[in-house]
Amino acid sequence: MIAQDEKIGVYVCHCGTNISGTVDVSAVAEYARTLPGVAIVREYKYMCSEPGQDLIRKDIEELNLTRVVVSSCSPLMHEVTFRKACNDAGLNGFLFQMSNIREQCSWVHDDRERATAKAKQLLAAAVLRVGQQVAMEERIVPVRPETLVIGAGIAGIEAAVRLADAGRKVYLVERLPSIGGHMAQFDKTFPTLDCAACILTPKMVSVGQHPNIELLTYSEVEAITGYVGNFRVRVRRRATSIDPTKCVGCGLCWEKCAVKKVPSEFDAGMSMRTAIYVPFAQAVPNKPVIDREHCLHFTRGKCGICQKTCPADAIDFDIQDEILDLEVGAIIVATGFTLFDAGELARYGYGRLDNVLTALQFERLSHASGPTGGEILTKSGERPGAVAILHCIGSRDENHLKYCSRVCCMYSLKFAHLVREKTHAEVYNFYIDMRAFGKGYEEFYRRVMSEGVHFIRGKAAEVSTVAETPEEEGKLIVVGEDTLLGVTRRIPVDMVILASGMRPAEGTEKLARILSLGCTRDGFYLEKHVKLAPVDSPSDGIFLAGACTGPKDIPDAVAQGAAAAAGALSLIDKGRVIIEPITSEINPEVCAGCQLCIMTCPYTAIHFDSERNVSVITEELCKGCGTCVAGCPSGAARQKSYEDSQIYAEIEGVLA
Amino acid sequence: MAVASLDLREVFLQKLYSIPNGRKVNECIQCGTCSASCPTSHAMDYSPREIIAALRAGMLDRVLRSNTVWLCSSCYSCSVRCPAGIPFTDVMYELKRLGVKHRIGDKGAPNTVMAREFVHLVDRRGRNHEPALIRQYFLHTNPLRALRQFPLALRLWWRGRMPLRGHTIKGAAGLRRMMAAIEENGSK
Repeated sequence: MIAQDEKIGVYVCHCGTNISGTVDVSAVAEYARTLPGVAIVREYKYMCSEPGQDLIRKDIEELNLTRVVVSSCSPLMHEVTFRKACNDAGLNGFLFQMSNIREQCSWVHDDRERATAKAKQLLAAAVLRVGQQVAMEERIVPVRPETLVIGAGIAGIEAAVRLADAGRKVYLVERLPSIGGHMAQFDKTFPTLDCAACILTPKMVSVGQHPNIELLTYSEVEAITGYVGNFRVRVRRRATSIDPTKCVGCGLCWEKCAVKKVPSEFDAGMSMRTAIYVPFAQAVPNKPVIDREHCLHFTRGKCGICQKTCPADAIDFDIQDEILDLEVGAIIVATGFTLFDAGELARYGYGRLDNVLTALQFERLSHASGPTGGEILTKSGERPGAVAILHCIGSRDENHLKYCSRVCCMYSLKFAHLVREKTHAEVYNFYIDMRAFGKGYEEFYRRVMSEGVHFIRGKAAEVSTVAETPEEEGKLIVVGEDTLLGVTRRIPVDMVILASGMRPAEGTEKLARILSLGCTRDGFYLEKHVKLAPVDSPSDGIFLAGACTGPKDIPDAVAQGAAAAAGALSLIDKGRVIIEPITSEINPEVCAGCQLCIMTCPYTAIHFDSERNVSVITEELCKGCGTCVAGCPSGAARQKSYEDSQIYAEIEGVLA
Repeated sequence: MAVASLDLREVFLQKLYSIPNGRKVNECIQCGTCSASCPTSHAMDYSPREIIAALRAGMLDRVLRSNTVWLCSSCYSCSVRCPAGIPFTDVMYELKRLGVKHRIGDKGAPNTVMAREFVHLVDRRGRNHEPALIRQYFLHTNPLRALRQFPLALRLWWRGRMPLRGHTIKGAAGLRRMMAAIEENGSK
């Protein structure tokens, strides 16, 4: 029921011909005049235009409208616009309702008569509903100036340095003992062939020394609560067993360590490391950690030679994990990628045949500080006479990664160049399509072609050791169709490099749960808008950068790191955020304390008050999704602006 | 003259699309994994990849006249490895059916005869009878070649590996009715 003294203004939009092409707008407007409480009805070509909004503002002022309905497009497009127009004229914006007769009517129907009838129903629903709406106030909360950056690969480093340079405090959390991410493992970078370490290490050093960056390596984010501008973050600093204030990084401890056979993660298993170790020479911080899973002191309770050797007395086996509670205003997630496990495709022999390497293993093999000092050698220590590079391993495959991993074509070209340059071996690239889309990439492709690399258009089907001819004896035989010739070729080689695709980093899903982030079906984080908001997450105050949203090369990851920093900075510098008042409430008189709402709340906004035996919503955390309302068996939870009376009025309107 | 009329192409596409994932032939990325995985592709007029390209180009003739479908040994390597998820072995079967039904593609590929006679035999007796099958096969293809097989047949018979009289299952009439019903439904 709409109160006697209500004066509702109704505005029906033509949207050019978007709506009026299918819906008889004048008939809808005429119908609106018959609805209860309607004081004025207008139709206009573009309600969202400045003159359109002026109509609303003028009517509110001159006719003292008490409520407003606009029948136009989706509220996603212009709810904010019209709400603001109402506010400008002194009418609370929550006394405004929008009915969508474009996306939900004119665009999806072609029968003019029936579309018009539907538009009338949708409008009636909005008019009856708006009569039940109540005025609400948006709340303004302050924003903390610190930012948390999760992941210290190149994207995270870029974001952290940008923010720190702008004078903002940054907590940079990295799971591994050193920052640098995958880029630190790479040899050269395409297409310029810059040495990755030469361009990355200066950035890493500046992170380590920056007064505004608090570096938390060997640490993981365990829990996040709070809301935009005011996040509370719990970080677990894993025990390194080293007192960083005493350690000078002299290296005596790892020279003496008795455990020498742990496969090096940094060298992708191509070399062995000790139990106390720094991952690589340029590591930041350049202080070792003790890997407790392998250290004899922790596994068998003996040894301790590092402690005896250390001249600075920095080794302390009793150091425990430390829990840090941080408060930040914004969060940047830059957790990166991991390589597709080529072992899943048994036909290429990875893990079964010698000299079948993954891309990262080859990066290490070719790297000057890698296991061979940068010489490309087979397992038996010889220079290969022929090398095959197999593109699209795992990528573009229904059964594995459905998407193109974007970087493999280019790094495969880089590998081809490096092999030609260092060994003069024959190189065979088996590719499906060559994707050289970036700046200078096509030129690089041409260059590598001119260097005498063989390109075979066709995906390799298998790598075999079963020789059919004397030349194939003792070789790895790559079988693939040269689709340009229509001939299946068998190429005997000494080394096979598998260009594995990229998949989300380990722990991506866990962090998604901690941050309430969505993932695509490939497991990468979902952006707010894949084109227009690529570094925003759907949650306010949380930004995404780098390969955690999908495969990216270095320039793209850097650009996103910088963009995410700009996003965080614009939030922090504003100093305050407006929080929508549409939240849920739980009536303590009715609540039975079953806690179903706590389990279903996707934003961990509800906690249990054990004294009163009821569930309580923290308003700042609540996003007003209504899950608790739908789940509450006793009807204690209710959502503002989605009250039963409002929904029933809406239904009544549709049925009118 | 084109063997495959426009109508036949339509019929084939309809059949193809009714196979689970049959529509995926439209998503072929022409990577050649199928051809290089195929144990018999070296003897084919067109490799499996080329067959898909021809199908998509509307060149059903080229496909049906080639020996390719008749050389498929149904090892399923292509289907298992195909990154586009194309059930290629099933596509091959659909092509075989089409070839048999419309009596095209007999060129140098007597496999249609073998397939047809096998089905007739099973229809009649409810099970295979190898001597009868091979007799019919040679009768319809090259009777003279049967003579060359005679010594082998004799040896097999001597070892008790070749029963001269075929066996008919119990209730063969019922089976025939079932098969007829399936045929009828299948051709709808």
